[in-house]
Amino acid sequence: MEQKEYKLNMLHTTMGMGPMVDQHWAELRTAKQRGEKVAWAAGPGFILPYAMKMKCHFMAGYSSYCAGRRCGDQVIEAAESGGDLVDTCSYHKLHTGMFYAIKKGIPIKEEVVLPMPDLMISARLCPEQSHYGEALHQRFGVRVIGIDHPIPRKKEDFPKIEEFVTREHKEILIPVLEEICGKPFDYDELRRILSVLKETALIRNECWEFFKKKPTPWTLWDYGVSLAPVIYMMGKPEGVTYYQKLKAELAERAAKNIPALSPDGEKYRLMWDGWLPWAFLGRIIRKLVRYGALPICGRYPWEFFPHPEAFDPEAEDIIYDLVKQWYSGQEILWHDGPEGAVELNGKLIEEYSIDGIIFFTSKTCRLWMGQQDMMTAIERKYGVPGIIIEGDMVDSRMISDAQIDTRLQALFERIDGIRKRQPF
Amino acid sequence: MDEILNRFYEVAADPYKSVEGWKRKTGKKVIGVFPMWIPEEIIHAADILPAVIWRGNEPVTEGHAHLPPFNCGLTRSFVDDAVRGKLDFMDGMVFYRMCLQAVVLRFIIERHAQPQPTYLEHLYLPPVFDRSPCLKEFLIEELETLQRGVEGLSGKEVTVDSLNRSIKIYNENRGLLRRLYQLRRAKPGLLKARDILVMVHSSMLMPKEEHSELLKGILGDLEKKEPPTLVKGAKRVIVSGCLCQTPSLDLLGLIEDSGMAIIDDDLYIGSRYFAIDTDVNGNPIEALADRYMKDEPVCPTKGEWQKNWGDYLIDMVKRNNADGVISLLVKYCPPHLCWYPAVREKLAEAGIPHILIEVEHEVTSLEPVKTRLASFVEIMTGRA
Repeated sequence: MEQKEYKLNMLHTTMGMGPMVDQHWAELRTAKQRGEKVAWAAGPGFILPYAMKMKCHFMAGYSSYCAGRRCGDQVIEAAESGGDLVDTCSYHKLHTGMFYAIKKGIPIKEEVVLPMPDLMISARLCPEQSHYGEALHQRFGVRVIGIDHPIPRKKEDFPKIEEFVTREHKEILIPVLEEICGKPFDYDELRRILSVLKETALIRNECWEFFKKKPTPWTLWDYGVSLAPVIYMMGKPEGVTYYQKLKAELAERAAKNIPALSPDGEKYRLMWDGWLPWAFLGRIIRKLVRYGALPICGRYPWEFFPHPEAFDPEAEDIIYDLVKQWYSGQEILWHDGPEGAVELNGKLIEEYSIDGIIFFTSKTCRLWMGQQDMMTAIERKYGVPGIIIEGDMVDSRMISDAQIDTRLQALFERIDGIRKRQPF
Repeated sequence: MDEILNRFYEVAADPYKSVEGWKRKTGKKVIGVFPMWIPEEIIHAADILPAVIWRGNEPVTEGHAHLPPFNCGLTRSFVDDAVRGKLDFMDGMVFYRMCLQAVVLRFIIERHAQPQPTYLEHLYLPPVFDRSPCLKEFLIEELETLQRGVEGLSGKEVTVDSLNRSIKIYNENRGLLRRLYQLRRAKPGLLKARDILVMVHSSMLMPKEEHSELLKGILGDLEKKEPPTLVKGAKRVIVSGCLCQTPSLDLLGLIEDSGMAIIDDDLYIGSRYFAIDTDVNGNPIEALADRYMKDEPVCPTKGEWQKNWGDYLIDMVKRNNADGVISLLVKYCPPHLCWYPAVREKLAEAGIPHILIEVEHEVTSLEPVKTRLASFVEIMTGRA
């Protein structure tokens, strides 16, 4: 039988994201020269400094930018020359490596150099984010504020955690922001940002609907490169424009029946559970395309980010409302834990007609622990098989082509086997 | 003295047998607690034995179906033991988010431990970032959750009096262990590092009352004894790290055989376990919270930002007139991995010789370590 040749149909709109992202980081790089205050954030805290008109970095956003600019290995090497070890979180090392390179005059690309922040907000959503704050504080003298974001183990725990996290924001973070900026916290600006974010996210959700179409007009990778306007570039009207254009392009594709994968769409619809492999997006999708497979949805881009569509920017206690979305509101952090992950993955499998799951586990990050058990639980309940690929988001030493190739082959053979057994 | 030491070895060498044996003998309940910061006193006050979860003595087999090989030895070994039914004598298990790898443990145990422990708890012990009231109040709420849980399991109320009594028993044991360490400092070579470690480890596995009685006996004997003369030129070192699990006894022996005397340590199964006491007052839960909030020993898992672990070690070096520091870093331990460069920089700035040795649950090849230790001794000798 002749092997079908698959080819990706790239979207036009997503090409516009690169310049937007470049501009964001360029503005951050030069913020100090304009006398602006700079904050860094790991976790969801970046919304608050935005409300104080600070320029803000976002840990994962910077890491994906660094990886996308092919600077990851270079900066990680700098970090390891300063004492970091190979098993340390790659996102962590991108930051310590960048500072260490500046301190020691190690050459790295200028576009990934950032100024020393006035404040680092370290959300202990993943405990390693607090270690990251510690390292920046102890080694480079960065002022750090910690916000604990417990990952709930039971839904009954939501109220007490919400109350605690709300208090941390009000009693710890906001007073420090007021001190650094020399003005009262700007609740009106926060509401404005959240309104724009909500508008952006509502259009984003309409775009997600196109993932349900068979064949799909776009891929998870397309959404992955479109994350910035709903995350660290939130509150900008350009974000709304970007998603309007994206939605229009997807609608056009849907109307004309143009699939993301030519000639006639995907053979396998996959879910991707784990970080997106920022430095290897092209390398991995080329492997998938060879089999006629596409990543359609995933826990990380779906649930690790704010769901502002669910809250009211005019709510009386806007901080509580903001915190609530992580817990009882949208259950975002519940889905970060293994119990909630099984629940969410099941929902995504059904909504997006998923054939198989790739659990991408990072050798330098333990946030996705429990994937072996999730894989078994999901297969038993939904009959959808999965594989685990071990790798990293950034560090090319952790990626093994042979391992990925053999596991992908096993996954597609299993899906074929299941299909053969299914009655028509 | 040998008899007491043998008893400590017996308990620590096979905790499965010793803890289960205690349970069978007394008819009481056992709760496995994850290491470091769960206040065992609350469990003790409910007349339950809190046994600190240990790293097993067998290679991981079935556990690899649940955790990847790049998890630390303790979590892999614990899951392996649990799914193979080796921990079936535990009536309860208490976890907390000491690191990312601990987050998933309850999820795995609930699905695969046979039989299921009656009581499973995951506490949200907060970090101590800046000791704000909201952190302390949330911490107290969590300790009260533990209190209610153990009361439910034992059917016994934990009163202010019973909890204060347990706190006193724990403080006494800590005080005795501190006395042991003072003796080691005063008479290096009196006991081998492996003996000391086993004495601390057995304290985590047996009732404190019994352990304290044994300690009193051995301390009396040790205080009368003169140490053997140290090898001429032996270097005085501090061993640091292994934040929540036992280092290999063979490795400690190798350090001593390489011309070094371990005169103090900064290990969890070591001085970190008993470094600080709990106040005894009218609100024992709050007193336990205060102990947790203290900034010493500097703990990388607690979000301690006010103090630098490196400074803490430098103080220890000065107090002990030590020649160098050996960091034992458990492979895949994120808190230690992330802190290590800061510690390294501090020690280097202070001119203190330092070496890093990564340790794993699986057998570490000792020969290359031996060579590195020999070089380390030479470095320290060159500086003398």
